[in-house]
Amino acid sequence: MTQRPEYFRPALIAGIAAGVLSGLPFISIGNCVCCLWIVGGAAVAAKMLAAASPVLLTTGDGAIVGALTGIVAAVVDALISIPLRPFSLGLARRILDKAGELGGQMPSGIQDALNRSGGFLSPGWFLLGLLVSAAVFAAAGAIGGIIGLSLFGKKGQPPAPPGSPNAA
Amino acid sequence: MATAAKHRTVARIWAFTAAGTAVWLASIFLAPWLASHGQTMASRFLYAVFAPLCHQIPDRCFHLNGLPLAVCGRCLGIYTGFAAGLLAYPLVRGFSRLSLPSARLLLALTLPMAVDAGGGILGLWRTPIGLRFATGFAWGTILPYYFITGVADLVRARAERREARRLEIAAAKK
Repeated sequence: MTQRPEYFRPALIAGIAAGVLSGLPFISIGNCVCCLWIVGGAAVAAKMLAAASPVLLTTGDGAIVGALTGIVAAVVDALISIPLRPFSLGLARRILDKAGELGGQMPSGIQDALNRSGGFLSPGWFLLGLLVSAAVFAAAGAIGGIIGLSLFGKKGQPPAPPGSPNAA
Repeated sequence: MATAAKHRTVARIWAFTAAGTAVWLASIFLAPWLASHGQTMASRFLYAVFAPLCHQIPDRCFHLNGLPLAVCGRCLGIYTGFAAGLLAYPLVRGFSRLSLPSARLLLALTLPMAVDAGGGILGLWRTPIGLRFATGFAWGTILPYYFITGVADLVRARAERREARRLEIAAAKK
């Protein structure tokens, strides 16, 4: 049997970090830039995996560790977003008010967007949001993991499993 | 994996990804379209689906029938860029060659969006929605070349492991 890399540890560490960054007020704005925290977190997980793995990794390994990182991040993000939700909205409203007082120009419609997100969060909507985020974060994480492995992984062809048609 | 089988596998992954991307893009346009046709619940559902992924600030979204799309201009650029990269995939790579893009190309396509978004977040400038779309589009075009390669490699590794197990069992029986 071929030795399989240990995906879970790097995915858990990077996923928690990415989830916290995705859930914190204002810092989470990074995710509006191509899921920055998720793609970045997955790339870091791939780097950790490459550093710890005794075997040569493939792009598929990057996809697995990245997707796992995305799923962990989605769960952590959802969990820390619940208690921080009123605080985040309050903070955003205060900044909008302050900007208005100082004559700063904010994008129109931002107030509507805040009001929309300030509505009651039912368990159904919460679960739906979690499922969608997990699916999309997993896909974004898979891409991040593959990118991370292509940048930080050891170069070379991984050996084919013994007994397989491609084995030497 | 034999070349023909590998070719088929990559083609199948490409087709599934293309179908998923088409549904995803259609949903972005469907959200305002449904709202403008009185389907409020279905429209709310679609806006909610995209809410964890995008700020959805109306001023930064393209509009359909007077209503904002479900994602901002930059996100729309990334998704349409992904779709364009995916459409070009068979012509650029073909289904028999699996290799990742160079780090230089990734950097060249990422940098415009990173600079545009970074400056915007820091309050240095406010770029027009068209430019946000364009920089997101450029970044999105390279992503399918990572995604398809990674997923195809995953499928190949699974098939090889299964084949190895089958051979081991056959050898043990002899």
